[in-house]
Amino acid sequence: MSKYLDLSVLEIHRLYQEKKLTPKVLLEEVFERIEKRKSLNCFITLNKEEAMKEALRLENEEVGGILWGIPIALKDNIVTKDLRTTCASKMLENFIPIYDATVVQKIKDEGLLIVGKVNMDEFAMGSTSETSYFKAPKNPWNEEYITGGSSGGSAACVAARITPLALGSDTGGSIRQPASYTGLVGMKPTYGRVSRYGLVAFASSLDQIGPMTRNVFENAALLNVIAGRDEKDLTSAVQEKEDFTRLIGKDIHTLKIGIPSYWISDVVTQEVKEVFNHVIELLKEEGNQVEIVDISYLEQAVPLYQIIAMAEASSNLARFDGIRYGYRTLEAENVDMLYEKTRSEGFGEEVKRRIMVGSSLLSSEKAKIYYDKALSIRKDMRKSFLDCFSQYDLLLAPTTTSAAYKLGTSLSDPLKSFMDDVLVIPVNMAGLPSLNLPAGFNQDHLPIGIQIIAAPFEEAKIYQLASFLEKKLNLDLEGGHIDE
Amino acid sequence: MSKYEATIGIEVHAEIKSQSKIFSNAQNSYGKMANSSCTVVDLGYPGALPTINQEVIYQGIRACHLLHSTITEKMHFDRKNYFYPDNPKNYQITQNRTPIGRGGYLQIKINNEVKKIELEEMHLEEDTCKSVHKGRMSLLDFNRAGVPLIEIVTKPCMHSKEEAVLYLEKLRETLFYGDISDCKIEEGSMRCEANVSIKEVGAKTLGVKCEIKNIGSIRNVGIAIEKEIQRQIELLENHETIKEQTRRFDDKLEDTVLMRYKETGNDYRYFPEPDIPFVVLTDEMIDHALSSLQLTPDERREIYKSKGIQEINIEKLIANRTLSDYLNTYLDTELDFVIASNLLLGDILSYLHKNFIQLEQTKLTKEKFLDLVLKIKNGDLSNKNVKDILEDVLSTDASVSEIMQQKNIQNIKDSSVVIDIIQKVVTENPESVKDYQEGKDRAVKYLMGQVMKEAKGSINPKLASELLLEFLKNTSN
Repeated sequence: MSKYLDLSVLEIHRLYQEKKLTPKVLLEEVFERIEKRKSLNCFITLNKEEAMKEALRLENEEVGGILWGIPIALKDNIVTKDLRTTCASKMLENFIPIYDATVVQKIKDEGLLIVGKVNMDEFAMGSTSETSYFKAPKNPWNEEYITGGSSGGSAACVAARITPLALGSDTGGSIRQPASYTGLVGMKPTYGRVSRYGLVAFASSLDQIGPMTRNVFENAALLNVIAGRDEKDLTSAVQEKEDFTRLIGKDIHTLKIGIPSYWISDVVTQEVKEVFNHVIELLKEEGNQVEIVDISYLEQAVPLYQIIAMAEASSNLARFDGIRYGYRTLEAENVDMLYEKTRSEGFGEEVKRRIMVGSSLLSSEKAKIYYDKALSIRKDMRKSFLDCFSQYDLLLAPTTTSAAYKLGTSLSDPLKSFMDDVLVIPVNMAGLPSLNLPAGFNQDHLPIGIQIIAAPFEEAKIYQLASFLEKKLNLDLEGGHIDE
Repeated sequence: MSKYEATIGIEVHAEIKSQSKIFSNAQNSYGKMANSSCTVVDLGYPGALPTINQEVIYQGIRACHLLHSTITEKMHFDRKNYFYPDNPKNYQITQNRTPIGRGGYLQIKINNEVKKIELEEMHLEEDTCKSVHKGRMSLLDFNRAGVPLIEIVTKPCMHSKEEAVLYLEKLRETLFYGDISDCKIEEGSMRCEANVSIKEVGAKTLGVKCEIKNIGSIRNVGIAIEKEIQRQIELLENHETIKEQTRRFDDKLEDTVLMRYKETGNDYRYFPEPDIPFVVLTDEMIDHALSSLQLTPDERREIYKSKGIQEINIEKLIANRTLSDYLNTYLDTELDFVIASNLLLGDILSYLHKNFIQLEQTKLTKEKFLDLVLKIKNGDLSNKNVKDILEDVLSTDASVSEIMQQKNIQNIKDSSVVIDIIQKVVTENPESVKDYQEGKDRAVKYLMGQVMKEAKGSINPKLASELLLEFLKNTSN
């Protein structure tokens, strides 16, 4: 059996150019691996026929950019024309969209091969992917453990080396946290860097699509494909086109790096601290300056996030009413009952919980006390971050408080997953770019990651430091891949 | 109603004229096949996001200007959350905290006095779907979903149905002339709601307010208000309490009917729309929007008055915008506006009506119209002449002079020729001359008629009557 999928994207690209490999052969390998790793429960919908057709079509085409003919998996909240998009919910179990998200269009234009739609928390609400209507995906490093979430299927797929690339979405850590738990590079770009058009909205002011990959270079290459202003998304930023790989490989010796004090306090477990401290030592050895900094309101970030995210979610998910698309209850005597039964039956528990809390938070007087207040503190938090970036090139922090835990642990405690996200959430609140980089392992040989955070639109700088550390750390990250 | 005083506020939703919808690029059209003019955005599809139609913002700026409202320089949109089948996203994108315009007024004339009707605010929002109910089925037409609306809310500052009706007529005229809306109530492009309460004269607090929706014409707004005031007075007279409620106007009953009682305050869970960033209305945008504004109805009234046009013709012109616009193309010419307006509103309008055509479909050029009016003014054409040649003027390429030649119309302007005719008529009608001398006025009318007849109408009546009177005076001395 061939193992082209174990090669880097650059190596595959070279084989394509030398006509030693065709997209079809690579794709067949992908579907073999999908079959072999079925127990991971990565995929909700496969796109085998269409992907094969596309692979054959590519064979009559000139080899394009470096991601031409590379297989990719898409989180199932990114809308794909004629390909079922469920958001891992019963509500959209049979929903086949009539248009492509902007990122999907870009991926197709670039000649990537969409292999299928991957598992996630229902409507991206959760941190373990266990709220999926299609049951949780499993961590390829150890199938008793969670993948993290909500982009758990994307993480499992790449960590198991089924596809080199996946797209996730990050509202409150949903790319970085599963990337940390599965030993991947996962980037949440600056809010506005990537079009949200066609991303089924959870919390509009926080949602952002981003790449999840095996290494730093491939991550930057995928961001190159999906980034850019989109006239269809007014919140997408007007920025000049840039090459996010351009600083990769450049040595780093004179950086000023800040470490927010709260993020290395007792909220973080010892196993994470050890890995994190090792990285700090390494940076110092290379001559970089590392200092502890203070950022305002970090300790309040989780409740503030909950207010904003749930309030927006309660409104964004109102459209799922059984009238135009999606699940509809079998019997209803009137419209009110249609709404009530459709939504009670179509949504899972966590989604309903968040809709209820969000609706309550926006009710009459409460909106001023909670939502308005949260927005205003959020502004201050962002300002505090930006002030910090006037003195420091980058910020560094652990991504998660611990390594992945066992499946089923958090189900009894709805707040646990929020508290786990205490380190990733502030970045969404401030709209900053942040990348998870695998930095070590715990005693059970489960991956632990760190996140590199930059000022808005400084993704290239993040990739520079990430690639530098990637090379220095030189970790074996193949633990999720069963080699026969 | 001496004991009671009514307080009335009016809310108007007007569909804004624009190429495309407010938050999508689907066409903004009326009367198209159901669901042929909508995109995933209008359908409230998962993942779809709103964009902003700049044209609609410009229309909002124009409306603010025409209604003297203060423009909100930095504005955003809000979500109004409520479940209803005609509401595709189950939230409506509207403006709650930063309406595009605040305050403002319109002036009406009531009992020969000018009164300012003060406005609370105006805001931009999207329309909902249209529901059509067929038996047990309800059908939805998404062509209307996302059509831009402007909602204009007055303060509770009116006290009679007459004021309300005059306000609505003035508002319709203003929006129509500003090219902001068609304001066709029957097609639903202008919708009126009235809030009515009554209190005892002199009481400091307002009474309980009832809202009347679904009123199909301005006239019916008047009727609805009148009926509602009566209803409320009767309740109070019978010592019953008025419950806050929404009523609708029933065309057949010509009365209001209860729709629902107001429950403990509607909770729309408003919050700023996160998909649309703040919109900053710059001076450049405002200048751009206002540069295309046409003359307002009141400005036109002033101009027409200064040109000597009669009040009745002025109002007729304002009521017929095509003719008013047409007449205004002559503002920088020497045209006699009195003659021109008579001509337009009289013979030309009846010609257009008779032939079911518009003015621009005729062959009337600017030169021809100027020439025609001038010839009337100079006495080259009499009223009768005009009637004889108008069809040819409007339907052929020939000039006025050519047509006059063809029809052999030559107006006699030479006094000596006119006097010859008068001489002949007087000689042939000694009885009438005698009557005149005995002071019978109708004799002059008769003689004048004979003169015109003799001249086959091709004589300036003014000149003829002057000369006739002079002749008669001379002969009787």
